[in-house]
Amino acid sequence: MKIFALLFISLLFSTCVSAQQFLTREGGLAFDAGSPLEDIIAETKSATAVYDAQSGKIGFQVLMTSFNFKRALMQEHFNENYVESEKYPKASFKGFYKDGFTKGELTMHGVTKSIRVPAVLTEVKNGIRFKSTFKVSLSDYNVSVPKAVSNKIDPYATITVNCMMKKRP
Amino acid sequence: MKYLAITLCLFISPLGFAQDDVFDLLEVTQNKKYAYATFKGTQLVNSATNETPGAGVLQYIIAHRFGSFGEDYLYNFLGLDNAQIRMQLDYGITDRLNIGIGRSSVLKVVDSFIKFRAIRQSSGPNPIPISITLLSSANYRGERYADGIDHLIADRLSYHHQVIFTRKWNSKLSTLFSPSLVHWNLVPSVGDPNSTYNATLGARYKLTKRMALTGEYSLISNKSYSDGSAFTVPFGVGVDVETGGHVFQFHLSNTRGMSTPYWLSRNSYSALNGGLFLGFNISRVFTLRD
Repeated sequence: MKIFALLFISLLFSTCVSAQQFLTREGGLAFDAGSPLEDIIAETKSATAVYDAQSGKIGFQVLMTSFNFKRALMQEHFNENYVESEKYPKASFKGFYKDGFTKGELTMHGVTKSIRVPAVLTEVKNGIRFKSTFKVSLSDYNVSVPKAVSNKIDPYATITVNCMMKKRP
Repeated sequence: MKYLAITLCLFISPLGFAQDDVFDLLEVTQNKKYAYATFKGTQLVNSATNETPGAGVLQYIIAHRFGSFGEDYLYNFLGLDNAQIRMQLDYGITDRLNIGIGRSSVLKVVDSFIKFRAIRQSSGPNPIPISITLLSSANYRGERYADGIDHLIADRLSYHHQVIFTRKWNSKLSTLFSPSLVHWNLVPSVGDPNSTYNATLGARYKLTKRMALTGEYSLISNKSYSDGSAFTVPFGVGVDVETGGHVFQFHLSNTRGMSTPYWLSRNSYSALNGGLFLGFNISRVFTLRD
């Protein structure tokens, strides 16, 4: 009989687990690779973000062409010459959140690197908000910057993530 | 009893715990995505592409066609001493609508044009395989007529209407097919057609991220007129080089006129008789409004 009780409890527990996933497909992501000479800022509001509270697993994915620049030509150069969106259409992060840090693999421009960056996860009504700001080195991800414009582009792009994930039913 | 419980437990537990990997949720269904940068410039060599400057962007193009290889070309420093020039200023009202003015030194032609990206190639849900862009221009010949007759302003005008079909096949290859109509208000005699029909074929192939080969060739409906003037089919091959806000286009063509009716339907040069010209187009963009 004891074992049935255990089973029952485990069943209860398991349904409770699967309810602890959070998701958004309208996550905010921005980056800034500008310099005093030129503003190079872009943002998207269509990043996907997921979080599993049980395992601590956290993941992000964004289509490179979804980044909006103020200048159409800059956006074209970004996609055509720098991140090569046709060849590498998306960037993703898969990892874990624990105690104020996210740690995992960031894949961009066909290169995967382990990163560990500070992050803030706050519980809000019906969901969770994830915020993080960190820098990535362009050369780490084989994004080449021609010498002629190297003084206009910050070799370390600042990435800002701000995603409001809703509890999955 | 105990075994039964364990079996049950084995059965049920996967149901509870084997929730699909949370990362599977990351995979997104592709949204509608418009093809971008089908061509580097708003023109290929002479012919217009589907591209327009973005909203709020002012584009300045300066273009040269040098002297022919047939005329003392070493003496004239590969024709550079006999340059014909075109200046063009155009503006993107929206990302799809573009207006502009230009002035070419061959026959002192001033023109204005309007270009609209009617249909844009896209992928994702309801994909569209090609882009269709509409272009119209009015052209005014400024050069004095040598025939001693007073010509009305209307005589000096010609019009060009074009439908530009383009497709970006992949990141390297894009092609263009543009049927067009050129209307001349003045033709040599009553028997000559005022309207000529043309079709331009063009392509670009990217060699590197910032460099591409281009080529274009046009078919024309009317090659000779009653006054004995004969016209040839225009073609050009070139190289596009892009550096930040500039696009440099260097090319070799059998045309010198740069306003559309003149290079397209009244080109009098033939490559076989040395009528080949080096030339370039350089564009610079200025963002006036973010």
